[in-house]
Amino acid sequence: MSRTAARHQLRALPAAASTMTVVAAAALPVLVTTWTILDPTPAVWRHLWATRLPGMLVDTIVLLVVVVAGALVLGTGLAWLVTAWQFPGRRALGWLLVTPLAMPGYVLGYVWLDTLQDPLGPRAVRSLWLCGLVLVLTLYPYVYLFARASFRELSASSVDVGRSLGCTPARVWWRVVLPMSRPALAAGAALVGMEVLSDVGTVRLFNVSTVADGVLRVWFGTGDRKAATELSVLLIVLAAVLLAVERFTRGRARYGHADRRSGIVPQQLGGWRAGAAAAVGWGVLAIAVAVPIARLLAWAFEARRSGQAETVAGDLGFHLLSSLRVAGLAAIACLTVGLVLAAALDPRRRVPAAASRLATLGYVVPGPVVAIGVLVVLAALDRSGWLPGGMLLVGSLAGLVYALVVRFLAVAHQGIESSFGKVPTSVVDSVRTLGAGRLRVLTGIKLPLSATGIMAAGVVVAIDIVKDLPITLLLRPFGTETLPVWVWQATSESLWVQASVPSLALVAVGMVLVGALVWAFEHGAPPTS
Amino acid sequence: MRNRFGFVGVSVSVAVLFLAAACGGDDGEGGVADESAAGESAVGEDEASEPSGVVTVYTGRHYGIEPVFEEFTEATGIEVRFTTGKDPELRERLIAEGENTPADVIMTADAANIELAAAEGVLGAVDSEVLRSAIPEELRSPDDEWFSLSRRARVVIASTERVPEPPTTYAGVGDPQWKGRVCLRPSAHPYTQSLVASLIVNEGAERAEQIVASWVANEPLYIDSDTDIYEAVAAGDCDVAIANTYYLGRLQAVDPEYPVAIIWPEQDGRGAHVNVSTAALTAHAPNPDAGRALIEWLATEGQQSFTDVNFEYPADPDVAVHELVAGWGDFTADVSAVLQLGANQREAVEMLDRAGYQ
Repeated sequence: MSRTAARHQLRALPAAASTMTVVAAAALPVLVTTWTILDPTPAVWRHLWATRLPGMLVDTIVLLVVVVAGALVLGTGLAWLVTAWQFPGRRALGWLLVTPLAMPGYVLGYVWLDTLQDPLGPRAVRSLWLCGLVLVLTLYPYVYLFARASFRELSASSVDVGRSLGCTPARVWWRVVLPMSRPALAAGAALVGMEVLSDVGTVRLFNVSTVADGVLRVWFGTGDRKAATELSVLLIVLAAVLLAVERFTRGRARYGHADRRSGIVPQQLGGWRAGAAAAVGWGVLAIAVAVPIARLLAWAFEARRSGQAETVAGDLGFHLLSSLRVAGLAAIACLTVGLVLAAALDPRRRVPAAASRLATLGYVVPGPVVAIGVLVVLAALDRSGWLPGGMLLVGSLAGLVYALVVRFLAVAHQGIESSFGKVPTSVVDSVRTLGAGRLRVLTGIKLPLSATGIMAAGVVVAIDIVKDLPITLLLRPFGTETLPVWVWQATSESLWVQASVPSLALVAVGMVLVGALVWAFEHGAPPTS
Repeated sequence: MRNRFGFVGVSVSVAVLFLAAACGGDDGEGGVADESAAGESAVGEDEASEPSGVVTVYTGRHYGIEPVFEEFTEATGIEVRFTTGKDPELRERLIAEGENTPADVIMTADAANIELAAAEGVLGAVDSEVLRSAIPEELRSPDDEWFSLSRRARVVIASTERVPEPPTTYAGVGDPQWKGRVCLRPSAHPYTQSLVASLIVNEGAERAEQIVASWVANEPLYIDSDTDIYEAVAAGDCDVAIANTYYLGRLQAVDPEYPVAIIWPEQDGRGAHVNVSTAALTAHAPNPDAGRALIEWLATEGQQSFTDVNFEYPADPDVAVHELVAGWGDFTADVSAVLQLGANQREAVEMLDRAGYQ
């Protein structure tokens, strides 16, 4: 190491310190609840091991594999369909296929449970496979988004080279497209996997007993929060395995595409092939979006007719405003923190990579555990007397926003990191050789080159936040009642008819955000090379 | 130099963002306040003597609670500010907040959860003759830390069309003749847990475990919603089930001929299992007088609306039940087990785990 490099590192010390503060703030709530694993409760573990734990592990791992594989196949396949082939309705499908992201898993799950109850029978409908299908349908857009962005940036030349060398389309796909998109697909799949690990709403509907569900069972059933959080450490272990697989899949691959001016030109599909392509796309949309919305609309009309919507529907605007305010603030905060992390932490180095993993722990443990962790941290601050003028963080909007950042930072971080990863390292390195500081590299090179990706990350985070229930439910300020809270108040009493109005509003907000996402992709400043 | 301040700067701006959000929150709330959660002002100790101002409530019971609070405000002039949530989470919030809690009153939908809160020392005793005379001894904590407001009976239900001789005890649901014809709520739900806790209290752990095992042997269809359990019985997916009565009230309010009947279990002995909705003053209530006023009102004048809105049974036996509920007839309720449910809940959960109950 040269002397200049050493001086460089020394100068970066304050930056490192402030970054570590951010990491600590993001990781602390999860750590305060899970450190209890160091002093485990053997009796509870023995009991669980003898009873539910083996089943929980099997269910969790099977569900994880099924959903990640399903989302990869569906997300990648659909992204390739709309990128490489020309058929009627391709453009509309291109963005409509993102809309299932707007559908909360527990809403889609209930609608399909209710719809399939008659044909399949009440027992067969409550199965891990149907649960997996529902999760695939709501989560595949993560893979789809990453895959599409990646395919968009594939240069036509690399595909053409393959074609001109006499490769069949299938060979081009396996030998050229897939390897080049591997990092993006892995990033999307990792998000899907983490969502599956922490899901507690959808699995309960289908009687699937996962570890996350077990955490809540132990906690709510026995009042033993310590044992419950010990169990959630299992989820962190599973997530670590998941992320290790992701890293391994990405390998050392860093792709900077030199030529982005010419994307892949979609090839015309003819006859029945075009029909089949369109049918696949619209079919997925019908199952994941159209049928559920139709069902919710029917319930909403029923609610109006029977007068059940009267008292609650009056509050629609109020709930909507709450949701937008919370999601807007929290998404901006997530994005800001995510940018700080991604800019400061070079994923090529080991320690920063570990730090960024630490900062995104909140995404893999169940929401209620994160909520309690944040509660403990904020309450300690409130008692510390450090805060000015009797200010209380618990139950404040700031506290809620902080909690949501802890929970959803991973989504922003994953999106930003993957965008930054596509900025050619050669460019960054040469600019730095010319003496530009990190901030300069960030504002001058990385941000402009990844503007689209960052906007997309922000919107995806906002969609996730707007659907959040557990964090908001526990930490919201008085007078803040979001749409999911309303949905929960109705569904926890099995009043699905009453839940239809807020569910529809939630889906509508999600749709608008998806629209913004599409706009970001279509009109985002195309990166010049 | 540039890069050093760059990073510190970004981090500082994040901190500023949070503070801005905090201030925004304080300003924003007043503007968008919900009518029900009105009056953000004056939650303080400055009005200690005469109950007035605002009472702040954490409530795990949320169904139809809003109109009841409005009625209270009309009657007393005290405004109610409340937040809804799940019993265990609200309890954790109360524990974490300690002396800083804004909550005067916590309300739960189940006895075990309020007992756990009491064990954590976050409840404050209410020395009230009004409460002692309105609420029977079996339905309030011996040290006056919490009070039941309503009783919720969990009973055997059966199809009126297909089941001429339904089981009349909880153990009867485990009779092999119902194999494949039973609907039960999963063990993750407190209703199931408290029912099994009551079996332990009344029949001893060994017998309780046998009963649970016999249910499991009947290969029940597990449905995590009482309403859907009623619907499953009506639709013929099962013949007998165990569910709370008030859900039938809601269904009968729409369809008086709803084809599912309540069978009051254990009428030759202890009576049907009941759990309770409760209210308690918090240990660090900022406005304890208003909190006490709310609990007293709910236990007396408010009993009728509090229980009628959800077709429940009043905690005060002298208060009349809803007309529709009266149609189900009188029954013996197992009130003597209520104070022991919390202590047996953990054993119940572990028993359900061991039995392989979903």
